[in-house]
Order: sequence, then C-alpha cells, then structure tokens
Amino acid sequence: MDTFIQLTVDALTLGSVYALIALGYTLVYGVLKLLNFAHGDVFMVGSFIGYGALQLLGGTSSPNVPTWALLTLITLAAMAGCAVLGVAIERFAYRPLRDAPRIAPLISALGVSFFLANSMQLLFGATPRNYDTFSLSNGALYFKGFDIGNVRVPLLRIITVCAAFALMIALWFLVNRTRTGKAMRATSFDREAAAMMGIDIDRVIVFTFVLGSALAGAAGVMFALRVPTQVSIGFIAGLKGFTAAVIGGIGSIPGAMAGGLILGFAESYTQGYISTKWSDLVVFSILIGFMIFRPQGLLGRADIRKV
Amino acid sequence: MSDSTPHGSQIPAEGPAVGQDEWVARHAERRLLRQGPLGQLQERLSRVPWWASLVLFVAALSLLPAVESSGYVRRVAFDTVLYMLLALGLNVVVGWGGLLDLGYVAFYGIGAYAYALLDSDKFGVHFPTIVSVPLVVVIGAVVGFLLGLPSRRLTGDYLAIVTLFFLQLFQTLMTNGDSAFGHNLTGGPNGILNVDPFHLFGHSLVVQHQGVFSVSYYYVAIAFFVLVFVALRFVNRSRTGRAWRSLREDPLAAESMGMPVNWLKLMSFSFGAATAAFTGTLFAALNASVFPLTFYFVLLITVYTMVILGGSGSQAGVVAGALIISPLLEMLRDTDKSRVIFYVALVGGVALAFRFSRLLGIVAGATLAFGFAVHEVARAFDHSWVAGEKASGFPGVTAHWVVVPAKLATWIPPTTYIGLIAATLVLTMVRGRLRLVLLVPTLYLAAFVWENVMLAKPEPARFIILGLILIALMILRPNGLLGERRVEIV
Amino acid sequence: MKKAIGLALAVLVTSVVAASAQASHRVAVASTAINCNSKLTIAFVTPLTGGAGFLGNEQGSWAKYAVKTLAPKMGLKIKLVFGDTPVEQGPAIAQSLAQKFVANKNVVGILGPSTSGAVAASTQTYFQAGLAHISPSATRTDLTKTVAGKLEGTPAFFRVVPGDYIQGPSDAHFMINNLHVHKVVILDFQEPYSLGLADAVEATLKAAGVSTTRLSAPNTTTDYSAYVTKVPGDADIVFFPTQKPGDAQTFAQQLLEQGKKAKVFGGDGSNDASQFKVPGSYVSNFAPDITGIAADKGLIAGWKKDNPGKAVGSFGPPSYGAAQVLMSAIKKACVANHGVLKSRRDVLRQVKKVRINNWILGGTFRWSTKSNDPLNAKFYIFQIQSNGSYKLVG
Repeated sequence: MDTFIQLTVDALTLGSVYALIALGYTLVYGVLKLLNFAHGDVFMVGSFIGYGALQLLGGTSSPNVPTWALLTLITLAAMAGCAVLGVAIERFAYRPLRDAPRIAPLISALGVSFFLANSMQLLFGATPRNYDTFSLSNGALYFKGFDIGNVRVPLLRIITVCAAFALMIALWFLVNRTRTGKAMRATSFDREAAAMMGIDIDRVIVFTFVLGSALAGAAGVMFALRVPTQVSIGFIAGLKGFTAAVIGGIGSIPGAMAGGLILGFAESYTQGYISTKWSDLVVFSILIGFMIFRPQGLLGRADIRKV
Repeated sequence: MSDSTPHGSQIPAEGPAVGQDEWVARHAERRLLRQGPLGQLQERLSRVPWWASLVLFVAALSLLPAVESSGYVRRVAFDTVLYMLLALGLNVVVGWGGLLDLGYVAFYGIGAYAYALLDSDKFGVHFPTIVSVPLVVVIGAVVGFLLGLPSRRLTGDYLAIVTLFFLQLFQTLMTNGDSAFGHNLTGGPNGILNVDPFHLFGHSLVVQHQGVFSVSYYYVAIAFFVLVFVALRFVNRSRTGRAWRSLREDPLAAESMGMPVNWLKLMSFSFGAATAAFTGTLFAALNASVFPLTFYFVLLITVYTMVILGGSGSQAGVVAGALIISPLLEMLRDTDKSRVIFYVALVGGVALAFRFSRLLGIVAGATLAFGFAVHEVARAFDHSWVAGEKASGFPGVTAHWVVVPAKLATWIPPTTYIGLIAATLVLTMVRGRLRLVLLVPTLYLAAFVWENVMLAKPEPARFIILGLILIALMILRPNGLLGERRVEIV
Repeated sequence: MKKAIGLALAVLVTSVVAASAQASHRVAVASTAINCNSKLTIAFVTPLTGGAGFLGNEQGSWAKYAVKTLAPKMGLKIKLVFGDTPVEQGPAIAQSLAQKFVANKNVVGILGPSTSGAVAASTQTYFQAGLAHISPSATRTDLTKTVAGKLEGTPAFFRVVPGDYIQGPSDAHFMINNLHVHKVVILDFQEPYSLGLADAVEATLKAAGVSTTRLSAPNTTTDYSAYVTKVPGDADIVFFPTQKPGDAQTFAQQLLEQGKKAKVFGGDGSNDASQFKVPGSYVSNFAPDITGIAADKGLIAGWKKDNPGKAVGSFGPPSYGAAQVLMSAIKKACVANHGVLKSRRDVLRQVKKVRINNWILGGTFRWSTKSNDPLNAKFYIFQIQSNGSYKLVG
C-alpha cells in the first residue's frame, strides 16, 4: 500500500510538469496547427534560466531572500526568459513560413530544436546543474510535509503540484473568460475567419507563444527543483509533453491537463509495478494506440478537413 | 532530375515578325531559355543524358583513391557515399511520397542490426553475404511496410510524430535488448561486436590493412550507390513514380482520381526503408560492430539537412546535398579547417549578398577597417587581450584582425553568442542604410564568436551550423539547390 | 536565381577544397622513419563535450600538464592533440577518429580512449596499425581479460588503472566484511561501464549469500523517484555505478526524502566532492586522494598554477600517469633505435618495459606480467563525512 501511495505522489508531481509542457504544445497547435518541436528545448532553457537566477540571488545555501520569495522569483525569471525566447522563435523561424506547405515549419522546428540544444551545450557545457534544493532551509522542503499512512509527502512536492494547478487554473481563466482568450479560441477555430472579424492574428499568435513558453519555463523550474537539469533533457521532455497533449486531445486545454496527468500516472505505475526499463515503451505504445484508434485524443475534436 | 525544362527549339533567325503565329506560340518557351554564354552552357548541360552524368560522377568518385592515399580521407569518402545512399532513400519517402518520416534512421539501424545478427558470433550464424544482404533488404522493406500500415490514415504532423516515436522505440528496444525476457538479443548498449566482413567472389573483403581503411569497401559502396540510383530512377519514371508525384502534390485530388493512395504510401515507406537497410549492411560490415546510439536523432537531422539542402524530389540534388554536408561536417571537427571554412563562407556569403556591386567593396572595406581598429585598440588596452592561441594555418591577416584574448572570462562566450544572435535577428528586421551600418560590426562579432567560442568546442558547433542551415533553407529556399518549387494546394 | 545557386555551390566547394588543402594528409602510412628530434604527436581520445565532458576536460588538463613538464625532461618534443567522443553519440565515433589518427604519420601513440565502449570500437584499428593506446579510465574487464570466452581488447591496449574485475569484488567485499550488508540494490545505466561493474558486484555478493535486487535505468534518466520507491525499506546499500556524480547526489537525496535507510555506494565515476556530498555515502576509486601523497606536492602546485580555480579530481591524475608512461615508452624506443623510429610498433614494443618510480598515484608503477593492467593495483573506498569531505575507510 505504501508503494502505491508513494507512486501516486510521484505520478502527480510528474504529471503536473508534463501537463504544463503539454499545454504549451496544445496552445500553439491550436492557433498555428504547428507542432512546435522546439518546445521541449524551451523547457530546458527555462530550467537553466532558473538556475542562473538562483545563483544571482545567492544560491540555495545562503540565499539573499526568504525561501518563498526565492522560489517565486526564479520561477518568474524563467517564465519571462522563456517568453522572450518563444517570441523570438516564432518571429524568426515560424512567421515567414506561415503560408508555406505544412512540412516546412515542422522541419524548421526540428532545426530550431537542434540549434537550441547544441547552443546551450556550447555555452554551458553538459554538466548537470543542481539547484541543491536540499540546502534550502536545511532541507525543510524535503523533511517537512504531511504524512499519508507511512509515506511522507514532502513540502516540495506539494508546492510543485499546487503551483502547477494554480497556473493551469489561471490559464483556463485567461482563455475562457477574457477577450484575449476569446480571440485565441477564435483564431484556433478558423484563422482566416478570425482575421476577417478584425482580430489581429499576429498579436494573438505572439501572445499564444508567450503563454506557452512561459508555462514551459515554469515547468522547467519545477522540474529542476527536484532533479538536476542538463542540456539533454529537452528532447525527452518534449516527446513526453507532446504525448500528453496528443493523448488528451491536441487543441484542447483541459485535454492537455488530463493527458499530462494520465501520462504521469502511466509512467509512474509502469516503473513501479512492471519494470523501469520498459516504462518508455509502455508510454509510447499508449501513444501509438491513441494515434491509430482515436487520433483526436480523449477530449479533442475530430479534425474535419474541408476540401 | 526534373523533366520540366523544355528543350530549346529553333528560333527564326530573321528576328521577330509580328503576326507570325509560330513565333508568338513559342514565346513562352523562349522566355524560359537561358541567355548568355553561361546560360548556353547550362542549356547544353541540361541536355546531357542522365546516365552520362552518372557515369562521369562515378568515374570521378572512383579516381579518388588514386589521388588520395590517406586512409582517413578514403574513410570520409566512404562515409559520404553512405550518406548519399541514405539521402536517396529518404528522398523516396519525403521527396517523392511527400511523407515526413522522422523515423528513417531506425531502418538504417534495423538493416545494420539484422546484418550483424545474421553474420556474427552473436548467434553463431554466418550466412554468406550473397544471402544475408538481400535478406536484410527484404526485412527492411517488410518493416517499412509494417510501419506504414498504422500510418495510412495519418496526416503530415501526426505521421511525423508516429515515426519519431518509432525511432525512439527502436532506440529503447536496442538498448534494452540485452535483457529481453532473460536473453541477450541485441547486446544492449555494448552493441554487437565482431561482425563479419563481406565475402564477395570467393574472398572476404578485408576491412582494414594495418589499421588503414581498405579501399575495396569504398568500391563496394560505389557499386551499391549506382545500383540504388538506377533502380530508384526507374521506379520514379514508372507509373508508381508518377502516382507518387500526384500524391505528393495533392493527396485529396489523387484519391478522388482513384489512385490507391494508401498503397502508394506503403510503397514509398517500403522503398525508403529497403534502401536504408541496404546501406545498413555496408555500415555494419565495415565497422565490424553496431551500437544503438549511432542511429538516433543527430543522424536523422544530418540526413534531413542533406535532402533539404539538395532539394527533396531530385535525386541529383540529394546526392549533391550529401556531397556537400558530409565532408563539411567532418572538416568542422578540426579547428584549423573549420577556421578556413568560416572565413571562406563569410567572404563568399557577403559576395553573394552584394553580387559584385559597389556596396560589396564598401562593406568589405568597412569590415576590415573596423576589425583592424578594434584589434589595435584592444592591444593598446592590454596585450593579453589579443595574445590568445592561434593554431597554424591561417597566419597573417586574421592574426591582426580578430581579437583573440589569452584568457576568456566566463561571461564572454554566452554574452557575445547571444549578442550575435540578437544582432542577426535585428538585421533581418531593419532595412536600407541602417542594415548596412549594422552589418559591419555584426560580421566582426561573428568572426569573434567563431574564433573564441565555437572553435573551442567543435562538436556542438558543427551541429549548430547544421541546425542553422536547416532553418535558413526552410525560410529562404525550401526547394533546396536542385529541387522544384512546390505549391501546396490546401 | 540560378546564378546564385551556381555561386553558392562554388563558394561551398571552394571552402571545402581550400580547407582540405590546408592540412596535407597526403602521405601514406607506409613505414616512413620518424626522427626523434622532430615534433612527435600524441592523440588523446576522450569525451570533451556531452554528458561526460567534465571527465574529458579534467583528463585533458592533466595530460597537457604532463606533456608540458615531462617532455622537455625526456628530451622529446611532443604535441598533444585531442579527439572528442561525446558519449551521447555512442562508441561508433571512436572508429572514425581512429582512422584519422592512424592516417596521421606524426602520431606515435594514443592516450585513451577514455570510455570502455570507445576502446571496444577502435582497438582493432589501433592494433592493426601498431599504435599503442593507453587508457587512464576504461575499466571494463573484458578489455584485458577474457570473460566468458571473449577478449575484446587487443595486445596494443593498456590501462594504468585496475579494471572492474578488481573494483567489483573489492567493493563487494568491503560491503560484506566492513558494512555487514544483508540486502543490496544494484543499479546499472544501460551502458558499458556500469553494466560491467554492476555485474561484477552482483556476482560477488550473490556468491556470499547477500540478497540482491537488480534495477536498470536508461542512461538518460534524471528523475530517479520511481527507482527510489523500489528500494526496499530494509536495504542497506544501493550500489550506484554512475558516471555522473550529480546523479549520485540526487539519488541519495531522494532516498532521504522517502525516508529510506539505504546508503549510496558509488563507483569511481561518482567521485567528485563538489557534486556528490551526501554524508554517509561511499565512493570507491582507483587512487587515494593524491593531495595526501608527499611526493606529489610540487606536481599539484604546478598543475594548480596552470589551472586556476579548478579542483584536483580523481580522473585527472591517472591521465598524467598514462601520458608519463607513453612518453617514457617513446623515449625508450628512441634510445633503442638510435634516434630514429622505424615505425610506431617500436613504441608499442617498449610500453610493457616501462617502470615508473614515484608514481603519481603512489608507490611504483609496474605492468602486470599476465595482462596489460598495472601490477597489484587496488581500489580505495571513501566515506563522505558530515562536512562533505572524503575519508579513506578501506
């Protein structure tokens, strides 16, 4: 029973990070019908920005600000940095290709992903960067928490999951209750019609990228708080986030959240109960199964192509 | 090899005669004819039959070992021929079928592993080459077919994802294959070693003689290349090829015309996979070993860059792409050569952009002057700022032009690199005089970044170049060097 | 536009041709005599970029220091060049590098390859070319000893550190005799180094009746939560033969987070006091901390002067040693052949005859007569103290 609880806690933490990344994919796919392969690398850059901000603020062993302020500041720094990066990528790698055949921005995205990952490796090397959250407040984030049965749920995980959910709720609110959100939804439904209705498409797309990349940056920091980050995590994180988006239904925001959580659970339970070696395989098989039998995912709309 | 250029016809020597129907009728053709002596040369060249060009090309390739006796150069040439084969195969799927297959190198790996399993001590079987190579090709075709089956209903993006996941799946399987249900099937991360070399016409081809790459494999590779090139060309000129072209241009229209779209997709997957598997056998035999990590994302992007650069859809194009990228990548590994490549590319790029106009002289002169000035100022400030290590090979000019500090502070590489990217992006946004003015310091900054930041780590640097080439190609010239400009009908 | 293509092609081709004309590799490798007074080249094949890049850079700095200080003393002019084998690209890249160095007639010896996989991939090429390759860190057993009927190394491969066949059992015996373990979890990372070490440890522990659980993580794993969950609450030790000290740190922290009592026991790959410092953990290494060896004081001071701000790691000193051995072999060959080396095999023949007093890792260095490993090499076990320092315990 303990194992089950522990695995569930792991699943929730993992799942919320995946959900944040998946949201970025879904948002961009919604408005541009483009799979942004570079998104995983934006996530990776976010974790590095968080590391840099952490060092600027004194590092975890002797921070200049109280813990909660430290965590908030580095998350905000990562979100801002990634938003800028996302806008730059959109402006220079995707915008010129908006009317090109669908294959072109995909390949461009591959190139951007490759470029980002190798640039980070060139500049910062491949050594893992450890936030060393353990030293923060003498390990308070690890040792304090509440207990479920025999299993202790550390404060760090609670913070991660709550923060992720808060961001998701904020996003949902933004998309469904504000005018900008309405513009985003309109653009994702039919870009040309939205343009004819007077919506500034470029603005909306930039805004979408800002949102998606900021979420990826936040996910990067949350991820790196528990696990050392390195340049190579971008690719895998991108694949997993993408899987989550597709499972939930690409183009659907609640779908991305659901997909992320499902993926987190699938991975955690497979690793725990079946075998750690084959967990990747199981995840990919789930994805391929979805793509073959239900390409619109759980909550997505079946894509009707008009001739 | 595109068929779209019309053959020039006789132009009436008397000049335009208004009212003559024939002259008016041929006006469009004439407009497409190239002019000038260079143009006439190109016209003549385009009339050379394809097989003649192929023969000439193969002859040139085969003469290489006579000119270069270094085992290393021959090895690079061999690798280039392998890349040409891979590019030809990918061309079938992406260029002719129009399907974005991101799992292509998995077939390469399947071919290599299959050959290794059939011809090594792993399971103790040693099939003769004449049996195992065709068998591997068949295996590749079958697996390609099987991968194509679930992908029939998927459109562009989804297909890309499924194939990418197939690549990841292959990687995971091969890496964990050393404990699949308790049996060591694939050697896991240690790979399979001691793979047999090819046995042809009685004797086995020695892979290396005293450590030096044996040239016989190079000739086998060229033979493979000719075989694949000719075979694929015939397929392309057949009904299947024409059907592929229509499928690529507009799948919906093709389907409404009654073409077996699904079958065609499967065929293109199969052919591409078979070619990759064919190449895989050669790779495994030469290296006498296979490891899983070779067949992964980096290789995929490399082959894609070659295909896109050359022009997807054109066989000659993708071969040219491989011919350019493969030695380029290898040379970028070496500091001296990559320095030379950078400067030639910089000068060439600027010359291309300004096309021998007056502006070229202005920009070139300004950049040189700017550089010398900065160098002198830096030297006056502090000698150690320009006292950095310079490898032999490009003395003189650049030594006094680029600032290479002896010791680089840690904040310099990231700042200058990001600064260079920002400057380049800004350049694309401004116009006119401002652009020219900003170009000069940007060029100098580029030289600085190259010398100090990128040459320090050639491995990621060369992949950065690859990624940049891909992005630039897609934005500036998606049809590559020799491909045709495509218009997607949505 | 077509003219532009022509120009572009011309530019590219020109740059390619110009670059290839730069370095002339036109000379065949056929036996041309090398004068010992000319500049001889040694190539170091190690991962300089990628996940194990810290390893290559550390080893490189010590090798450079060795060449700088020892070559003049031996009367040799040595140039050190590097070949980069990032671990993410697999061992195949070592093969093309091998071709490159074989073709370069000035190369008389090879340092490395540093990773066991790269050795397996390229040792045949070096052997056939008669190039001695001395590795400071490739510890896989079957590179010098026959395992299950297979020997993957060649007579031209040497290493100056003991192999996993010593590290594995020595770690296991420490666990059995000093730590009195009953239950051990063993992890491997699906790559050659950890697989070999994990297998060796598992075999010895099982033979002694200790209950073992074996887990396997992909090399790209960063989040070990699921593996930590699988560690039984009553396990004593988790054997963690990683090549990334940061991962050992993460794992140990996550063990604490989940309240497990098991301690992490790392191999020589996890040896880095700046990254792995959870108190109570163990690390095994092929050398004691050389800052404690009196004879090395001058050496360390000199290295630190050349590399300000860097700490003395555990992978660096063996590279110094390997370079020393290689250069000694070159010197012996030059002396034996009266100043002119007929071929690289002359150097290869002398390697086994090298003996070094005041070996950087302590004591005297001698080759074992039975294999290309050092004689009487042993592994040292450290425990991480509460202040993060490493204390020798076994």
